[in-house]
Amino acid sequence: MTLSRMFYLYKRLYIQQLKAILEYNKDFYILMCSAALTQVLGFVFLWVIYDRIPDINGWQFWEVTFMYAMIFLTEGMGSLFFEGTWRLGRLVNQGELDRYLLRPVPVVLQVFCTGIGINGLGNLLIGGVIIWQSLVHSHIQWSFAKVVILILLLLTAVIIRVSINLAGNSAAFWIRNAGNAFPLMVHNLADLAKYPVTLFPQAVRVFISTVLPYAFISFYPATYIFGKSGWSGWWMLAPVVAAGSAAAAYGIFRYGLSKYESTGN
Amino acid sequence: MPVVKLKKYRSIANRSLQNVLSYRFSYVVTFLSNAINLLAVYFLWAGIYGGRETVGGYTWDQMKTYLLVTFLANSVLSWYSETAISGKILDGSVAVDLLKPIDFQTARFSETLGTSLLEGGISTIILVIFSFFISGLALPHSALVYVLFALSLLGAIAVKFGVVYLAALLCFWSTGSMGIVWTRIALTNLLSGALVPLAFFPGWLERTALLLPFQSIIHTPTMIFLEQAGTLESLKLIGIQCFWGAALWIAGKFMWNWAVRQVTIHGG
Repeated sequence: MTLSRMFYLYKRLYIQQLKAILEYNKDFYILMCSAALTQVLGFVFLWVIYDRIPDINGWQFWEVTFMYAMIFLTEGMGSLFFEGTWRLGRLVNQGELDRYLLRPVPVVLQVFCTGIGINGLGNLLIGGVIIWQSLVHSHIQWSFAKVVILILLLLTAVIIRVSINLAGNSAAFWIRNAGNAFPLMVHNLADLAKYPVTLFPQAVRVFISTVLPYAFISFYPATYIFGKSGWSGWWMLAPVVAAGSAAAAYGIFRYGLSKYESTGN
Repeated sequence: MPVVKLKKYRSIANRSLQNVLSYRFSYVVTFLSNAINLLAVYFLWAGIYGGRETVGGYTWDQMKTYLLVTFLANSVLSWYSETAISGKILDGSVAVDLLKPIDFQTARFSETLGTSLLEGGISTIILVIFSFFISGLALPHSALVYVLFALSLLGAIAVKFGVVYLAALLCFWSTGSMGIVWTRIALTNLLSGALVPLAFFPGWLERTALLLPFQSIIHTPTMIFLEQAGTLESLKLIGIQCFWGAALWIAGKFMWNWAVRQVTIHGG
């Protein structure tokens, strides 16, 4: 199947979901606002702390807010365009995946389009504003190359995030009826990357740079953007990490799928 | 009759306790998530205190204690209560509850107490273990403080239940619960002092937060445990908790009477 065909199918499936979600528009607004509010309150937390102290471990306010917002922004992208990964548990437990297996469309594509998390729009909006403000308030020497690299890093960040979501939710193939508890735990580990990894012990740093590479979403891009010496060059690994996590997540998903036995009802 | 009535609700509490036990996996994972979060917050604060004696009037030793007490107060009432009540309303099983000759609010409160007992117990054990590895915790010495602290935790449960219950009833009006649950969690975390002690807030925000019920959930237990409030003031704070617990309970009654008239149940 060609890439353009994939995009076409994705678009068609996505629009169908969009129609469904627009039916319940009260929910739509509540979800969007609550996601935005959650993020704003987290921002208030940082603001309250920085009101008392000038820096944490050498990191300034707007540098930390950048990392914080990157985590939320990628979460928003994940919810808005790949929410289906979170429905995988239900698809497996209720045997609904059978339907997907019968269609001549890649299963992972159908899973992606199983739903739309409209809350992502709130995250995207507030996350975007905070990132923009962070960039404006920090004295950055802009160049064409820097802009291109920033966009590249945003892209790899989204890929990494979605890959981890897919891998985490694939646990549903092994753990029956556990609800979303396990993927949620994986998801919550992203909290560690909201702050500079230098705060954490070595083991945690290695963990969020390799096993669950959340640090490549927030910390390593920040070291590049804000020109932190001592970490220069590390961001170049981001595309490698993105490709690696995408491949690993797809591998885990395929392996899980091969273990899938329908619920039989 | 009152004894028979109480027995009914006790058996509901018992049932919900067994429910947690049979879904241990979810509970353990949720608990682990909270523990990870605690670690993240712990190291963040360690970084904030790096090279500083006091921040916002708290020493690092006090802050460590603050974080642990917050963790305890938060986990005493977490897993079951966050989504279960709204879930009942959304999936329509509230229809069955409407037919039962028991009070909906009291029944949900019994369930909450049932799980709280277990969650609180486990959290306490883990915290005691954890505290062996942390040096310099600011533990109170007088037994009276522990008694007052235990009372304030009960007060915190009552107030938090009130907040959760009112938010859950809003689901009669909306069709999804996640938005309401997230908003409630975010607001509670900030205004109760779970994210950062209220003393860190700018003056106007601190004053506002102290007027709201949320502060009874985290702020009060920590004030008492860190001995920042004297005996008399502690009693006053517990009194405020009782007030909010009662006020929210009554508000819940009113809102329930209004909400059941909104009930729309899809399918059977």
